This record gives sequence, structure tokens and C-alpha cells, in this order.
Amino acid sequence: VRVVIGEDEALLREGLVAVLGRAGYEVVAMAADGEDLVRKARAHEPDLVVADIRMPPSHTDDGLRAALEIRAGRPGTAILVLSQHLIKRYAFELLESGPAGVGYLLKQRVADVDRFVADVGRICSGGAVLDPEVVATMLDRARRDDPVARLTPRQREVLGLMAEGRSNAGIAERLTLSEKAVVKHVSHIYDELGLVPAPEDHRRVLAVLRYLDRPSG
Amino acid sequence: VALGAVELALMYSGVPVDPSWVVVLFPVVAWVYLAAGVVAWLRRPSNRMGALLTAAAYVWLAAGLVNTPVPALIAVGLITATVPLAIIVHLLHGFPSGRLRGRVSRVTVLVGYVVCVMLQAPVYLWGQGPAGPTTVLQIDDRPDLDRIGFWVQTGVGLAVMVVTAIVLAARLRAMTRAQRRVVAPLFVYGIFAVIFVPLTGAVAEFAEAWGVGLVAVQLGLLGAIPVAFVAAVLLGGFARTGEIEELGAWLGSGGGARRDVAGALADALGDPSLELLFWVRDGSGYVAADGRRVPLPAPDGARAVVDVALGARRIGAIVYDATLIADPELVRTAGRVAAVALDRERLTAELRASREGLRRSRARIVAAADSERRRIARDLHDGLQAGLVVLALRAHAVWSDPNAPPSMRAEAAELHAGLQTAMDDLRELVHGVMPAALTDRGLGAAVEDLADRMPIPTALDLETVGPLPGAVESAGYFVVSEALANAVKHAGAREVSVRMTRETGRLHLEVHDDGVGGAGLTGGAGLRGMADRVDALEGSLSIESPPGGGTHVIIEVPCAS
Repeated sequence: VRVVIGEDEALLREGLVAVLGRAGYEVVAMAADGEDLVRKARAHEPDLVVADIRMPPSHTDDGLRAALEIRAGRPGTAILVLSQHLIKRYAFELLESGPAGVGYLLKQRVADVDRFVADVGRICSGGAVLDPEVVATMLDRARRDDPVARLTPRQREVLGLMAEGRSNAGIAERLTLSEKAVVKHVSHIYDELGLVPAPEDHRRVLAVLRYLDRPSG
Repeated sequence: VALGAVELALMYSGVPVDPSWVVVLFPVVAWVYLAAGVVAWLRRPSNRMGALLTAAAYVWLAAGLVNTPVPALIAVGLITATVPLAIIVHLLHGFPSGRLRGRVSRVTVLVGYVVCVMLQAPVYLWGQGPAGPTTVLQIDDRPDLDRIGFWVQTGVGLAVMVVTAIVLAARLRAMTRAQRRVVAPLFVYGIFAVIFVPLTGAVAEFAEAWGVGLVAVQLGLLGAIPVAFVAAVLLGGFARTGEIEELGAWLGSGGGARRDVAGALADALGDPSLELLFWVRDGSGYVAADGRRVPLPAPDGARAVVDVALGARRIGAIVYDATLIADPELVRTAGRVAAVALDRERLTAELRASREGLRRSRARIVAAADSERRRIARDLHDGLQAGLVVLALRAHAVWSDPNAPPSMRAEAAELHAGLQTAMDDLRELVHGVMPAALTDRGLGAAVEDLADRMPIPTALDLETVGPLPGAVESAGYFVVSEALANAVKHAGAREVSVRMTRETGRLHLEVHDDGVGGAGLTGGAGLRGMADRVDALEGSLSIESPPGGGTHVIIEVPCAS
């Protein structure tokens, strides 16, 4: 596998060359800024481009833009961008260029050599690798914005049976609970879903609708 | 008044002109002038309009004597018959102070008096009095000379009026719109009246039939003039010497509802355009009430300046409209009365000026702190972090070397783990100093980033606001960051929302939470610091946080970039 590296920090560049070389990758060229990276990738037509997002000349996202430009020119090129900080928008922009053969990792993951090499391998074979922290943030966000996901497993079970049209007595029988316990669960579900008593609302129906409506299904 | 009554009595005792009611108008007109003159004189003692109007009243009485049966009095009436017109010309030129300004005005008024007194001579020397064929003054019965005299008088009189009209038109043009609104109708009416009267006199020469009705119209026109003058005097800007005392009383009253001294002076002196300037103690010049530095107007313009001193110390200046207030002494008197209060306002203005300087220096400090933060974040990024990664790589190499002693490999693993933690910490640190999303992708991306890190649902409504000045971006980011942190830490909020819009050069940011409320700027250093930041950018930060009603933090910052 032939690789072009874009990294402006000489020490880190050498480190990357060593790590990838030991794992059997052939580093064919190195660049220290975005424009040079594009040029060298065109010249060498590598299988993989590894780019630091923050590079000269503008020291913002030159590396990312260079990587996207390379990929636009040769869609088969696998791309791994490295960054000091995770910015969700960068991950989206990268995935929008095609979800196959892309990676977005924190720079410090390079030092976790075995895992890093495994990630590079997955990217080269057409996988998509996002830094665990990005994934965690997105999952947190999805859970946080979905009140049903915040329910306890037992509450979710009760809500599921409500959605199946069971009465409290029916749910109590199915779950071998007292009817009083079911009423308590239902009232907690209402609280968690933010359903306050109102004469014009039927809270049981609203709770079921929320359950059926949630984004993750 | 008594003289008028006597004159009336004399008219009726003698041979009345037919119809007799017309003669009544002479003393009535005189009374109107007298009343107007007295009112003007009392309200504006320093103003000569009152004196002129009062004098005109007596001239009108004299002119009315023509209708009495006493030959000597008829003579007096004939001599003074046209003098009221000259006085009206004088009033027009003298308005509003009663003093004549400029040589053209002085000459024109003088010629006016000459026309009305000297050129009247042919009428009583050679003409026929209205009460009879002859008067005591008549030296010869020469209707031809009388006729010539009449036409010369009318011609020169018209010339005087034309010059007057030109002078007044020029003055009108130089006036402000507000002044023009008051003065223009008066000037137009005055010129019309004074041209109309002699002109109709001339026309009447050919159309005898107009007779007494015409005389009544003439007298009515001229009689309304003083009323118009007094109205303009009281409505328009007029030096109100009488109100200087009132000004003093107002200054002494204190109390909370006081307006500024400039407003009081403007009212007292009757010049709404009056400005008060304050002398800055370091001797560097004058500032306006808002702390703005202002140059004095050029001395030859329509704006005049009077210095105000307290003892031997210069404290300020009054800039006024020289066309409204003719007498600088009056302004000086008002300035003396107001000096103490003015000095206090001077201190306020001085304070504002230094506050403005303070605000600028604060904005500079905030900007400097921002660029310092960016520099620190960049340095940490570029040098330290790469160095740590390389160190961790070497620790990994030692750990993965099968020939190394096990104890060394164990130590290398520990070192590696420690370096990973250090890199996590460094990342957090840099993020806190200046988040990469803010510097790389702007406020919107940075706020999204904040929302991602929130443990509670965070709704975003972010308008694409385009590029913003760095200081505005940082201020907006840190306010939102602080407000979101407070919502979680102190308010116990379940939900929070952030809104960002940009309208007419102002960035508008709102953070709402549904927490316990009761937050304020006095509570913690966090929001206080944010308010200072926003303030330094001439923006505003407000917090609505009723107990139990959630917290709403709203900032607005000018962002014309």
C-alpha cells in the first residue's frame, strides 16, 4: 500500500513514517503544507493519504481541504485526517465525500500504535473510522435528545406494552407486577417525557405516540 | 389710552368725516400698538421691539389728529400721517431684537423716515387737508406741487420697501428651518402690508370711489401688524431677560426632575439651538455634554460664543444663534447665573470623556487578551502536542521491544498511559483557552460544539451570520459557554436552547434554560466577566431569571465588520 503523508511537524512526520513503515506500508512522499500535499498526491497516485488537518499556509483546515481535493480528483483514494481537536463538522464533511475509505482520528491516537495500524488497515480496505470520541459525542447527543432512550429498561417495557394497547391491569398481569406498581411506572414515564396533566391532553396516547415516533425506532 | 379717548372726543365734537366710524380706527389702532408694545416690553425688557411698538402707538395717535377740528392738531396729523409706515419698516429690519444690523438696514430705515417726514412736506405746504381746503401750514395752494410730492414720496417709499423685501428675504434664507417657520409669515405679511398701503393710495388717486372703505382696509392691515410682531417675538427665539430670574430659581430648586443646564438655558434665552460646551481641566479644549470633543464655531458665523467662568476659572462656553439673540451681555448674564450648575455638568462631561477613554482601553485589553489566547492555543497545538505524541511513540517502541527487560517494558507502558492522559488534558486546556472550532470555523460551529458536549437536550437555532470580528466571536462564544455551563451546574435545567441571529449590524444571541432561575450578574464572577467583555464591545448583556422561571441570557453586540 502506497502512502503520501501531509504533516508540518517534522518529528511527528518521522514518527508516522516509522509506524506505517513497520506495519508494511510504503511511504512514497511527504508534504509539509496543503498545496504541496495535493501536488504530491497527484504525482504519486497513492492508495492512502494521511493528512494533518491544521497545516500551513492558513493553519486552519488546509489539510482537510487538500484531502477532499485529492479525493475529488481520484475518488478511490483512501483518506485519513488527523487533528489535535475534534470538530464534528469536519467529520461530516469527510463522510460527505463518500463513506468508504475515510478516517478521522485524533493525532494522539497515532501513539496507540497497534490500534492505529488496525484503523489504517480498515480505512484502506474501504471502511470508515471515526475517532471513538466523535462517535461517543454523537451517541450521547442522540440519547440525550430522545427522551424514550432516557427511560429505564422496565419503564421502556411498560411503555411498549402501553403501545400494544394494554391497560394497566393487562400490563401488571404480563409483567407480574402489582397494578399499583404499573401506575407508578406510568407516572414516571409521563414525567420523563415531560407530559404534564392538562384537560385537553390524553397523556397515555401522547406517551405512546412519542414511543412510536422516536428517531431510532 | 387717555390721549386716545381725548382724540376720539375731539373727532366727534368737530366736523366728522363721513362715515364717521372710520376715524375711530385711528385711536383703536394706536391702542393695539400700545398694548402690543407694553406686552413685548414687559416680557422682554432688553428687547427694543416693545419700545418701538409703544412709540408707534403715539405716532398713530398723532396721525389720527388729522380728523380733529383743531387746525394745529390737523397740522400735526398731516406731518405724521405716513410715519407709521416708516416705523413698520424699522420693526421689520430690527426684528427680532429691535436693533438694526448692518449698514443696508440702517440706511434703509433712515431713508424710510426721511420719506415719511420730509417728503410729506409738499402735502401740508401745498396740498389740501382732508378737513378743509387749507391748513395752518399751507403756504400756497399748489395742487401741482402737491401731486409731484406725492408721486416722489410714493416712488422712494416703494424703493425702500423693495430693498427691505430683499434684505428680509436674504435673512430668511440664512435662517434655520425652525426660525423660518416663525419669522417667514411675519416678514411676508409686513412687506405686503407696507407695500399695499401706499400702492392702494396711489391707485386710489385714479379711483376716487374706493374712499373710506379703502382707508378702513389699510388701517386694519396696519393695525394687525403689532399683533403679528408680538406673536413672533413670544413664539420665536427671543432674549428673555425676564426669565433669567426664573432660570436662577430653577437652578436653585434641585430635585430629581431637573433637566440639563443646556435645556434650561435654551428655554430661558429662547434659542432652541443653544449648546453648552465644557472646558476640560487639562486645558486641551471643549467637550460636549456626552464627552465628545468639539471645536468652537468660527467667530464670524451665525453662531456666537460666550465664555462662562466661575471666579477666575474658565469652565465652559455657551454657543448660541446670533440671529436670535442680539445681545451677548444677556447670554453672559445667563451664563453667570448658571455657572455653578454648569461646573457640575462640566465635571460630568469630563467624567464621560474619561469613561469613553476607559471603554476604548478596555476594548483594547479584551482584544489583546483574545489574540494572546489564540497565540497560546496555537503554540500549545503546534509544539507541545506533537512533542508528546512523539514521546508516546518512543514509549511504545520500548514497550513493544521483545528484548527489553520486563520491568522496563512495564514502566514504558505506564509512561505511555501517562502521556495519553497528558495529551487528553492538554486538549482540554487548549479547548478552554480558545476552541479550534471557533478559530477555524467560526461562532456557529463552536456553539454546535458546545451543544454536543451538553449533558441535557440543547436546541440550536443558529442563523448563518457570516464572518464576524474576532472579538465579537470570542465574546459570543464565551457568553454562550458560560450560560450553558450555568444551566447545568447551577440551574439544574432539563432543557436549554440557543438562538443566534444577525440584524442590521448587530449580533443577537440568546440562551434560555428551564432551570430554577434566580441568576444575576452579582452572583458569580462568570457572567460578570462576560458582561464586561460585552460592554467593552459596546454591546449589552441582560439576564432575566425570575425564581422558578428559568434563566434567559441575551446579548447584543454591534458587529459591523
